[in-house]
Amino acid sequence: MSVRIRFFARFRELADPEIVTEVREGTSITALIYAVTENNQAARDAIFDQEGGFRRYVILMQNGARIETTRAGETMVADGDEIAIFPPVAGG
Amino acid sequence: MLTEREQERYHRQILLFGEEGQDLLKEAHLFIAGAGGLGSPVSLYLAAAGVGMLTIVDHDMVERTNLNRQILHRDRDLGRPKVDSAQDTLREINPDITVRGINATIQADNVADLVGKADGIVDAVDNFTVRYLLNEVAFAKGIPLFHGAIQGFYGQAATIVPPDTACLRCMFPHPPPGEPAPVIGVTPGIIGTIQATEAIKYLLGCGELLTNRLFIWDGFRTRAEEIRVQKNASCAVCCRSMGEKEA
Ligand SMILES: [Zn+2]
Repeated sequence: MSVRIRFFARFRELADPEIVTEVREGTSITALIYAVTENNQAARDAIFDQEGGFRRYVILMQNGARIETTRAGETMVADGDEIAIFPPVAGG
Repeated sequence: MLTEREQERYHRQILLFGEEGQDLLKEAHLFIAGAGGLGSPVSLYLAAAGVGMLTIVDHDMVERTNLNRQILHRDRDLGRPKVDSAQDTLREINPDITVRGINATIQADNVADLVGKADGIVDAVDNFTVRYLLNEVAFAKGIPLFHGAIQGFYGQAATIVPPDTACLRCMFPHPPPGEPAPVIGVTPGIIGTIQATEAIKYLLGCGELLTNRLFIWDGFRTRAEEIRVQKNASCAVCCRSMGEKEA
Protein backbone atom coordinates (compact mmCIF):
# COMPACT_ATOMS: atom_id res chain seq x y z
CA MET A 1 0.00 0.00 0.00
CA SER A 2 1.04 3.57 -0.60
CA VAL A 3 1.23 6.58 1.76
CA ARG A 4 2.21 10.20 1.26
CA ILE A 5 4.38 12.05 3.78
CA ARG A 6 4.51 15.84 3.81
CA PHE A 7 7.18 17.77 5.67
CA PHE A 8 6.62 21.41 6.64
CA ALA A 9 8.81 24.44 7.37
CA ARG A 10 12.31 23.66 8.65
CA PHE A 11 11.87 19.92 8.04
CA ARG A 12 11.80 20.71 4.32
CA GLU A 13 15.43 21.75 4.53
CA LEU A 14 16.24 18.26 5.78
CA ALA A 15 14.00 16.02 3.73
CA ASP A 16 12.07 16.15 0.46
CA PRO A 17 8.92 18.27 0.92
CA GLU A 18 6.83 15.29 -0.05
CA ILE A 19 7.58 11.57 -0.16
CA VAL A 20 5.28 8.88 -1.54
CA THR A 21 6.30 5.43 -0.40
CA GLU A 22 5.11 1.84 -0.32
CA VAL A 23 4.59 0.32 3.13
CA ARG A 24 3.54 -3.01 4.56
CA GLU A 25 0.27 -3.54 6.39
CA GLY A 26 0.68 -2.91 10.12
CA THR A 27 3.30 -0.14 9.87
CA SER A 28 3.06 2.53 12.59
CA ILE A 29 3.57 6.24 11.92
CA THR A 30 6.77 6.10 13.95
CA ALA A 31 8.11 3.13 11.96
CA LEU A 32 7.14 4.81 8.68
CA ILE A 33 8.95 8.10 9.37
CA TYR A 34 11.89 6.27 10.91
CA ALA A 35 12.21 4.22 7.71
CA VAL A 36 12.01 7.15 5.29
CA THR A 37 14.72 9.03 7.20
CA GLU A 38 16.99 5.97 7.25
CA ASN A 39 19.74 7.56 5.16
CA ASN A 40 19.22 11.07 6.46
CA GLN A 41 20.76 11.48 9.90
CA ALA A 42 20.04 15.24 10.07
CA ALA A 43 16.33 14.70 9.52
CA ARG A 44 16.24 11.77 11.90
CA ASP A 45 17.96 13.79 14.65
CA ALA A 46 15.54 16.68 14.13
CA ILE A 47 12.45 14.49 14.29
CA PHE A 48 13.37 11.70 16.75
CA ASP A 49 14.91 11.64 20.22
CA GLN A 50 17.69 9.29 21.24
CA GLU A 51 15.23 6.52 22.14
CA GLY A 52 13.80 6.56 18.60
CA GLY A 53 10.51 8.19 19.60
CA PHE A 54 9.20 11.40 18.08
CA ARG A 55 10.43 14.58 19.70
CA ARG A 56 7.36 15.39 21.74
CA TYR A 57 6.78 18.92 20.43
CA VAL A 58 6.61 17.80 16.77
CA ILE A 59 3.10 18.16 15.32
CA LEU A 60 1.86 15.04 13.50
CA MET A 61 -1.25 14.84 11.37
CA GLN A 62 -2.82 11.77 9.79
CA ASN A 63 -5.28 12.75 7.04
CA GLY A 64 -5.76 16.14 8.70
CA ALA A 65 -6.36 14.75 12.20
CA ARG A 66 -3.88 15.39 14.97
CA ILE A 67 -1.94 12.39 16.31
CA GLU A 68 -0.20 12.80 19.67
CA THR A 69 3.52 12.10 19.26
CA THR A 70 3.32 9.81 22.27
CA ARG A 71 0.77 7.61 20.43
CA ALA A 72 2.45 7.54 17.00
CA GLY A 73 4.11 4.20 17.74
CA GLU A 74 0.74 2.49 18.17
CA THR A 75 -1.05 4.35 15.36
CA MET A 76 -0.99 2.36 12.09
CA VAL A 77 -1.02 3.87 8.62
CA ALA A 78 -3.48 2.77 5.94
CA ASP A 79 -3.40 2.79 2.15
CA GLY A 80 -3.76 6.33 0.78
CA ASP A 81 -2.93 8.04 4.08
CA GLU A 82 -1.35 11.45 4.14
CA ILE A 83 0.98 12.01 7.07
CA ALA A 84 2.08 15.61 7.78
CA ILE A 85 4.99 16.55 10.05
CA PHE A 86 5.53 20.08 11.28
CA PRO A 87 8.05 21.52 13.74
CA PRO A 88 6.51 24.44 15.69
CA VAL A 89 8.84 27.31 16.60
CA ALA A 90 9.17 29.33 19.80
CA GLY A 91 10.92 32.61 18.94
CA GLY A 92 9.45 36.06 19.14
CA MET B 1 -17.00 59.83 19.62
CA LEU B 2 -14.15 60.69 17.31
CA THR B 3 -12.50 64.08 17.16
CA GLU B 4 -12.09 65.84 13.83
CA ARG B 5 -8.42 64.94 13.86
CA GLU B 6 -9.25 61.28 14.43
CA GLN B 7 -11.81 61.29 11.64
CA GLU B 8 -9.09 62.54 9.34
CA ARG B 9 -6.39 60.21 10.65
CA TYR B 10 -8.56 57.12 10.24
CA HIS B 11 -10.42 58.27 7.12
CA ARG B 12 -9.31 55.41 4.89
CA GLN B 13 -10.27 52.69 7.36
CA ILE B 14 -13.51 54.40 8.35
CA LEU B 15 -14.40 53.78 4.70
CA LEU B 16 -13.89 50.11 5.52
CA PHE B 17 -15.74 49.71 8.82
CA GLY B 18 -17.40 53.01 9.63
CA GLU B 19 -17.09 55.42 12.56
CA GLU B 20 -18.82 52.82 14.74
CA GLY B 21 -15.96 50.44 14.02
CA GLN B 22 -13.38 53.11 14.74
CA ASP B 23 -15.12 53.84 18.03
CA LEU B 24 -14.83 50.16 18.95
CA LEU B 25 -11.07 50.33 18.35
CA LYS B 26 -10.81 53.59 20.31
CA GLU B 27 -12.57 52.05 23.32
CA ALA B 28 -10.38 48.94 23.27
CA HIS B 29 -7.40 48.04 25.45
CA LEU B 30 -4.91 45.44 24.27
CA PHE B 31 -2.10 43.89 26.25
CA ILE B 32 1.05 43.22 24.23
CA ALA B 33 3.44 40.77 25.88
CA GLY B 34 6.87 41.60 24.48
CA ALA B 35 8.43 44.60 22.72
CA GLY B 36 10.74 42.58 20.47
CA GLY B 37 10.51 41.07 17.00
CA LEU B 38 6.77 40.32 17.06
CA GLY B 39 5.84 43.09 19.51
CA SER B 40 7.26 45.69 17.13
CA PRO B 41 5.02 45.20 14.08
CA VAL B 42 2.03 44.25 16.24
CA SER B 43 2.17 47.40 18.34
CA LEU B 44 3.05 49.73 15.44
CA TYR B 45 0.04 48.60 13.42
CA LEU B 46 -2.34 48.54 16.38
CA ALA B 47 -1.21 52.06 17.33
CA ALA B 48 -1.59 53.33 13.78
CA ALA B 49 -5.04 51.75 13.55
CA GLY B 50 -6.13 53.67 16.65
CA VAL B 51 -6.58 50.97 19.30
CA GLY B 52 -7.27 53.35 22.18
CA MET B 53 -5.05 51.82 24.81
CA LEU B 54 -1.97 49.66 24.45
CA THR B 55 -0.13 48.17 27.40
CA ILE B 56 3.25 46.78 26.37
CA VAL B 57 5.42 44.75 28.74
CA ASP B 58 9.05 43.71 28.40
CA HIS B 59 12.02 43.43 30.76
CA ASP B 60 14.88 43.82 28.29
CA MET B 61 17.13 46.70 27.28
CA VAL B 62 17.65 47.56 23.62
CA GLU B 63 20.78 45.88 22.26
CA ARG B 64 22.39 46.34 18.86
CA THR B 65 21.65 42.69 17.96
CA ASN B 66 17.91 43.49 18.28
CA LEU B 67 17.91 46.11 15.56
CA ASN B 68 17.72 43.80 12.52
CA ARG B 69 14.10 43.05 13.40
CA GLN B 70 12.80 45.02 16.38
CA ILE B 71 11.65 48.03 14.43
CA LEU B 72 10.18 49.81 17.47
CA HIS B 73 13.75 50.67 18.49
CA ARG B 74 16.36 52.93 16.92
CA ASP B 75 20.14 53.00 17.09
CA ARG B 76 19.86 55.94 19.51
CA ASP B 77 17.85 53.74 21.91
CA LEU B 78 20.70 51.31 22.67
CA GLY B 79 20.81 50.61 26.42
CA ARG B 80 17.32 52.01 27.11
CA PRO B 81 14.54 49.80 28.44
CA LYS B 82 12.63 48.47 25.43
CA VAL B 83 9.31 49.64 26.86
CA ASP B 84 10.58 53.25 27.07
CA SER B 85 11.74 53.17 23.48
CA ALA B 86 8.50 51.46 22.44
CA GLN B 87 6.41 54.09 24.23
CA ASP B 88 8.25 56.93 22.45
CA THR B 89 7.90 55.34 19.01
CA LEU B 90 4.22 54.48 19.42
CA ARG B 91 3.34 57.95 20.75
CA GLU B 92 5.09 59.49 17.75
CA ILE B 93 3.13 57.23 15.41
CA ASN B 94 -0.16 58.12 17.06
CA PRO B 95 -0.54 60.79 19.75
CA ASP B 96 -4.30 60.14 19.88
CA ILE B 97 -3.96 56.85 21.77
CA THR B 98 -2.72 55.93 25.25
CA VAL B 99 0.43 53.84 25.44
CA ARG B 100 1.56 52.33 28.71
CA GLY B 101 4.97 50.65 28.84
CA ILE B 102 5.71 48.43 31.82
CA ASN B 103 9.27 47.29 32.47
CA ALA B 104 8.57 43.92 34.08
CA THR B 105 9.14 40.19 33.76
CA ILE B 106 5.90 38.32 33.14
CA GLN B 107 5.56 35.58 35.77
CA ALA B 108 2.88 33.40 37.29
CA ASP B 109 2.46 35.73 40.27
CA ASN B 110 2.05 38.98 38.31
CA VAL B 111 0.57 38.05 34.94
CA ALA B 112 -3.09 38.51 35.96
CA ASP B 113 -2.39 41.97 37.43
CA LEU B 114 -0.31 43.05 34.44
CA VAL B 115 -3.03 42.06 31.98
CA GLY B 116 -5.56 43.86 34.19
CA LYS B 117 -8.78 44.73 32.40
CA ALA B 118 -7.39 44.41 28.86
CA ASP B 119 -9.78 43.20 26.15
CA GLY B 120 -7.21 40.84 24.62
CA ILE B 121 -3.64 39.57 24.86
CA VAL B 122 -1.07 39.58 22.08
CA ASP B 123 1.53 36.84 22.47
CA ALA B 124 4.78 38.44 21.32
CA VAL B 125 7.13 36.62 23.68
CA ASP B 126 10.01 34.31 22.85
CA ASN B 127 9.34 31.30 25.05
CA PHE B 128 6.57 28.85 25.86
CA THR B 129 6.87 29.21 29.63
CA VAL B 130 5.37 32.70 29.39
CA ARG B 131 3.07 31.69 26.52
CA TYR B 132 1.43 29.05 28.70
CA LEU B 133 0.91 31.67 31.44
CA LEU B 134 -0.72 34.04 28.94
CA ASN B 135 -2.93 31.17 27.75
CA GLU B 136 -4.08 30.42 31.30
CA VAL B 137 -4.82 34.07 32.05
CA ALA B 138 -6.75 34.43 28.79
CA PHE B 139 -9.04 31.57 29.87
CA ALA B 140 -9.31 32.81 33.47
CA LYS B 141 -10.36 36.27 32.24
CA GLY B 142 -12.31 35.08 29.19
CA ILE B 143 -10.35 37.26 26.74
CA PRO B 144 -8.70 36.24 23.45
CA LEU B 145 -5.05 35.38 22.95
CA PHE B 146 -3.42 36.18 19.62
CA HIS B 147 -0.54 33.70 19.28
CA GLY B 148 2.51 34.13 17.09
CA ALA B 149 5.99 32.58 17.03
CA ILE B 150 8.89 32.72 14.61
CA GLN B 151 12.27 31.26 13.78
CA GLY B 152 14.43 31.95 10.75
CA PHE B 153 12.15 32.24 7.74
CA TYR B 154 9.39 30.27 9.49
CA GLY B 155 6.47 31.29 11.64
CA GLN B 156 3.10 30.25 12.99
CA ALA B 157 0.02 32.07 14.24
CA ALA B 158 -3.33 31.19 15.80
CA THR B 159 -6.19 32.95 17.54
CA ILE B 160 -7.60 31.57 20.76
CA VAL B 161 -11.02 32.73 21.94
CA PRO B 162 -12.07 31.32 25.34
CA PRO B 163 -13.99 29.31 26.25
CA ASP B 164 -14.86 27.66 22.93
CA THR B 165 -11.76 27.34 20.81
CA ALA B 166 -8.71 25.13 21.09
CA CYS B 167 -6.17 26.73 23.42
CA LEU B 168 -2.40 27.01 23.17
CA ARG B 169 -1.98 23.85 25.29
CA CYS B 170 -4.29 21.92 22.98
CA MET B 171 -2.18 22.99 20.00
CA PHE B 172 1.20 22.62 21.69
CA PRO B 173 0.99 20.14 24.57
CA HIS B 174 4.80 20.04 24.65
CA PRO B 175 6.85 23.23 24.21
CA PRO B 176 9.17 23.51 21.22
CA PRO B 177 12.81 24.14 22.21
CA GLY B 178 13.55 27.81 22.88
CA GLU B 179 17.22 28.04 21.93
CA PRO B 180 18.39 31.47 20.69
CA ALA B 181 17.33 31.14 17.10
CA PRO B 182 18.40 32.78 13.87
CA VAL B 183 15.82 35.21 12.51
CA ILE B 184 15.38 37.73 9.73
CA GLY B 185 13.15 40.71 10.53
CA VAL B 186 10.62 40.13 7.77
CA THR B 187 9.43 36.93 9.47
CA PRO B 188 8.12 38.61 12.64
CA GLY B 189 6.92 41.35 10.29
CA ILE B 190 4.61 38.89 8.55
CA ILE B 191 3.49 36.96 11.62
CA GLY B 192 3.09 40.13 13.73
CA THR B 193 0.87 41.80 11.16
CA ILE B 194 -1.27 38.65 11.06
CA GLN B 195 -1.65 38.87 14.84
CA ALA B 196 -2.57 42.57 14.56
CA THR B 197 -5.09 41.75 11.80
CA GLU B 198 -6.69 39.14 14.07
CA ALA B 199 -6.85 41.55 17.03
CA ILE B 200 -8.47 44.27 14.89
CA LYS B 201 -11.08 41.85 13.44
CA TYR B 202 -11.85 40.54 16.92
CA LEU B 203 -12.38 44.07 18.29
CA LEU B 204 -14.55 44.98 15.31
CA GLY B 205 -16.47 41.71 15.45
CA CYS B 206 -16.02 41.21 11.73
CA GLY B 207 -14.51 38.68 9.36
CA GLU B 208 -13.42 35.16 10.19
CA LEU B 209 -10.85 34.54 12.91
CA LEU B 210 -7.88 32.18 12.86
CA THR B 211 -9.48 29.95 15.47
CA ASN B 212 -9.08 26.16 15.60
CA ARG B 213 -6.52 26.57 12.84
CA LEU B 214 -2.77 26.91 13.01
CA PHE B 215 -1.38 29.17 10.29
CA ILE B 216 2.05 28.08 9.11
CA TRP B 217 4.31 30.45 7.20
CA ASP B 218 7.29 29.25 5.19
CA GLY B 219 9.03 32.43 4.03
CA PHE B 220 11.90 30.44 2.57
CA ARG B 221 9.57 29.02 -0.08
CA THR B 222 6.81 31.64 0.19
CA ARG B 223 4.17 29.13 1.16
CA ALA B 224 1.35 29.60 3.62
CA GLU B 225 -0.50 26.56 4.91
CA GLU B 226 -2.75 25.74 7.81
CA ILE B 227 -3.53 22.75 9.90
CA ARG B 228 -6.78 22.18 11.73
CA VAL B 229 -6.54 22.01 15.50
CA GLN B 230 -9.15 20.76 17.93
CA LYS B 231 -9.85 21.18 21.58
CA ASN B 232 -8.28 18.34 23.50
CA ALA B 233 -11.01 17.00 25.79
CA SER B 234 -8.46 16.32 28.52
CA CYS B 235 -6.73 19.72 28.24
CA ALA B 236 -5.92 20.98 31.73
CA VAL B 237 -6.41 24.63 30.73
CA CYS B 238 -9.44 25.01 28.50
CA CYS B 239 -11.48 21.90 29.26
CA ARG B 240 -11.06 21.68 33.02
CA SER B 241 -11.83 25.40 33.50
CA MET B 242 -15.05 24.94 31.53
CA GLY B 243 -16.04 22.10 33.83
CA GLU B 244 -15.34 24.19 36.92
CA LYS B 245 -17.45 27.04 35.61
CA GLU B 246 -20.39 24.70 35.13
CA ALA B 247 -20.00 23.19 38.59
ZN1 LIG C 1 -6.74 23.52 25.75
